[in-house]
Amino acid sequence: MLRKVAIVGQAQMNAADSGMSRERMLFELCKGFYDSMGITRHDIDTFVLCSNDFASGHTISNVFEDCPVGAYMKDETKVEADGVMAATYAMIRIMSGLYDTALVVGNSQGGSVMRPYLVMEYTLNQTYDRQLGLMNELSAAALQARAYMDEFGLTEEQLNKIAARNLRNAALNPFAFNGRADVTPEDVAASDLLYEPLRQLHCYPFTDGACVLLLASEEKAKELTDRPVWIKGVGDSLDTYYPERNAVRSKSVKLAGQRAYKMADVGDPANRIDVAEVSAKFAHQEPIICEGLGLFPEGSGGEVADRGLADLDGAMPICPSGGALGAYAFNAGGLVRLAECHRQLAGDAGDTQVVDARTALAHGQDGFCMQHNAVMIVSVEEG
Amino acid sequence: MRNVAVIGVGYTPVFVSKRRDVNIVEMISESVDAAFQNTGLTPDDIDAVTFGNMQTFEGLNLPHLWASDHMRAIDKPIIRISTGGTTGMSVLQAAYYYVASGMYDVVMAVSWEKQSEGDSQVGLSGIVLPEAMTMVAHGMDLFTGKGIGFGGGGSTGAASYQAMSYLHHSGAEPEHIDKMAALERSNAALNPYAHLRKKTTVEDIQATPMVAFPLRFGHTCPTSDGATTCIVASQEMVDKLTDGNVAWITGVGSATSDPCTANFLEGQITDPAEQKPAKIASEKAYRMAGIENPGRELDMSEMYNGFAHQSLMWLEKLGVCREGEAHKMLDRGALDIGGEMPTNASGGVFSTNAIGTSAMNRPAECALQIMRKIEGEHQIPKKIKKALAHGWGGMFQYVTVMVLADEPG
Amino acid sequence: MAEKPEKLVVDVQVPVDYTYNYRIGPYLERYIKGLGEKKILGVTCPECSKVTVPPRKICGACNRVLDEWVEVGPAGTVENYTVGHVKINKGLVEKLDSPQLLAMIKLDGATVPLLAEVKSIEPTELKKGLRVKAVFKDPPEDSLSDLSHFEAEG
Repeated sequence: MLRKVAIVGQAQMNAADSGMSRERMLFELCKGFYDSMGITRHDIDTFVLCSNDFASGHTISNVFEDCPVGAYMKDETKVEADGVMAATYAMIRIMSGLYDTALVVGNSQGGSVMRPYLVMEYTLNQTYDRQLGLMNELSAAALQARAYMDEFGLTEEQLNKIAARNLRNAALNPFAFNGRADVTPEDVAASDLLYEPLRQLHCYPFTDGACVLLLASEEKAKELTDRPVWIKGVGDSLDTYYPERNAVRSKSVKLAGQRAYKMADVGDPANRIDVAEVSAKFAHQEPIICEGLGLFPEGSGGEVADRGLADLDGAMPICPSGGALGAYAFNAGGLVRLAECHRQLAGDAGDTQVVDARTALAHGQDGFCMQHNAVMIVSVEEG
Repeated sequence: MRNVAVIGVGYTPVFVSKRRDVNIVEMISESVDAAFQNTGLTPDDIDAVTFGNMQTFEGLNLPHLWASDHMRAIDKPIIRISTGGTTGMSVLQAAYYYVASGMYDVVMAVSWEKQSEGDSQVGLSGIVLPEAMTMVAHGMDLFTGKGIGFGGGGSTGAASYQAMSYLHHSGAEPEHIDKMAALERSNAALNPYAHLRKKTTVEDIQATPMVAFPLRFGHTCPTSDGATTCIVASQEMVDKLTDGNVAWITGVGSATSDPCTANFLEGQITDPAEQKPAKIASEKAYRMAGIENPGRELDMSEMYNGFAHQSLMWLEKLGVCREGEAHKMLDRGALDIGGEMPTNASGGVFSTNAIGTSAMNRPAECALQIMRKIEGEHQIPKKIKKALAHGWGGMFQYVTVMVLADEPG
Repeated sequence: MAEKPEKLVVDVQVPVDYTYNYRIGPYLERYIKGLGEKKILGVTCPECSKVTVPPRKICGACNRVLDEWVEVGPAGTVENYTVGHVKINKGLVEKLDSPQLLAMIKLDGATVPLLAEVKSIEPTELKKGLRVKAVFKDPPEDSLSDLSHFEAEG
């Protein structure tokens, strides 16, 4: 029997430029979070940090992050992957029985400090891909978009609809900064062409972001909140690095989803999941991820866009927060998706609230074109 | 809470200054292959992978992504843990938690470093480079001022403060550092997987130049290329997949203090030799392992010693002996391979330092000693029932501890 | 755009240049040698028969060391493509004066597609199914760029 773990609270901040050092950003966020929860850092049994050496410009990025988040003289570790993996690891640490509370804190400053495309370039092997200089995050994303469009007939207009929907959602979300209330697919079509068919408004914005989640065992969760958001299932999977991987029918998204659904006993995701927050760094990745997760039929991206099925009041609301197009910082990204799920399930999602949301799905990715995918399913139903 | 054991270890064939014959992922594949060979397992037996190294040394971000195929990790759950010097143990601890939680039954932990491909001092200075440049921009003198370890010989400069404080509090002499260095290098000479394998005398050590008093060049660790893979399993899987000769993980702990521990800023807050996280982490691990008197109940230790004085210091900080006792244990031969508390029979980090692996090699060596599967002449003669493994890193502030035993807790 | 705080204490740019010396490993070494001889070499997996180019040591799917070498191409078919109007230089996006044509090319005899630049055609001619052939640098410079680019076949 796996020990039950819940998310009992969250806090996040995203900006084009936080105007602060990351230590300040983390301190403000965590201290504010502790105060709002009525706890102190001594209530935390273990800290799971989530950051990246290259993104922070520091070897061992957590060296200067520990004190601002409150981990001084405490148990801590650092995951260097997407935030959903950090939350997964925190859950696992609690499940081991050795800890009752875990604070997960992810951050990076891709807006003011390090260049995300350069950080991604360092992910390429230096023996071949970096030497050739042809592959970068944009060219790879463009190839993936083209492949999906060729395979399933998604048009540029439909792709622009996906982007526009996310940007409009983001405008309703106080925690996203890249939203535009009146943006239309035509506006997206008019944005700078990067690598065909990829345009500027299809892409995630450079973001200074930080996000904190508090996870707790069943007993502690019920002490800390009236409405714990239970972690029902997790799953992640790594695809091959190399280009024989099918980036359109993503095996790793599928396996990550299957593993999470199995653990959560979700047999019919399209019906059981009320809202999904996926980390689509580029607009075309949204249908690829959602289809891999079984939320929409394979290849249906165009139809979903035309019929508004992913809208806030649609059959399967996707990224009411605005998703990664609204704000996306490495390491914090996946945690923000979880924080948004928490807001939905706690009824705190304001203008982006999905009515009667009881079970939500958060997704995070790492690598070029989603080489590694992680899924977490959360619910107010304790089960 | 489930019982978890290390069922096998795989090292790259050698740990050396420069592996010119392979690239990074090819090197990693060697240690994964060795782990499969030593356990008789195949990739299908592995439920999940934990992975880590200190990536600024190679300038390669999220290297587990490129290593997907070479690690045989395709379609598997995987997590990257990266905590500086403690990485190797953090990665193994992650594998421990993965199994202890009940989520997975057999987990492979992979660590590595190919330091020859970068510049280690540059990689290390990256810990504080933005802060250093900001201080320079403010007009602070980083290179001739007092109390700034950064300019005074890099990490050795910083460690010299720790060594001085240790000598002061313990009553040990600089000669004890020489003696410990000679002991560990001579141990390493027996270990085919060690990097610096020359039998070394105290005189050899004392002939090396002083870098920052009391630390000599002969007191500092090398930089190495190598990879280490450990496979851990639940009790049920131990019964199913092994002959029962495994090393149980009975205690884990970790803690961090503040980065000022490394003396980077003039007027430090923390005595770098105080190492309170060592006390916190070890007490936690001992409690979990049911150990009340570590000095009596432990049969061996593997300490993370980038510098030769640290083996002695850690014995005290981790409660294996009282303050001021470690150098006396050294004098009476208690720390020798044949002694009552063999310490760093492998030669320690002091003899082999592919930094991503360094904190994993400590528990790996403990596991091999317990299982009596040491490939080399440094197998400790007496039976090892309980072993202490230690990891250290960051700006001198991270400590991780594991206790391994021949029986589950 | 976020507002900058009133008192900006310090804003420090830290340009750092580290030089790394990578070993590319025996597989790429042999591959580059082949390029010097105007040959594109790959390796075949004995189990799944996948022909991988550029060659690598392990077939991750089959857990096999790859050591059966085979020549592929020099012609192939475009499987996927993009036309670049920008490039990324040290993480910053810069506009290109003329578009860059990139293609994922399935070389004759290979399974894994190769990413390469296509030249001497108009952007509108670049499409899935286009037949292209490799152009090698002459004299070779003992590097990956010895496979310079691809051109339309015929």
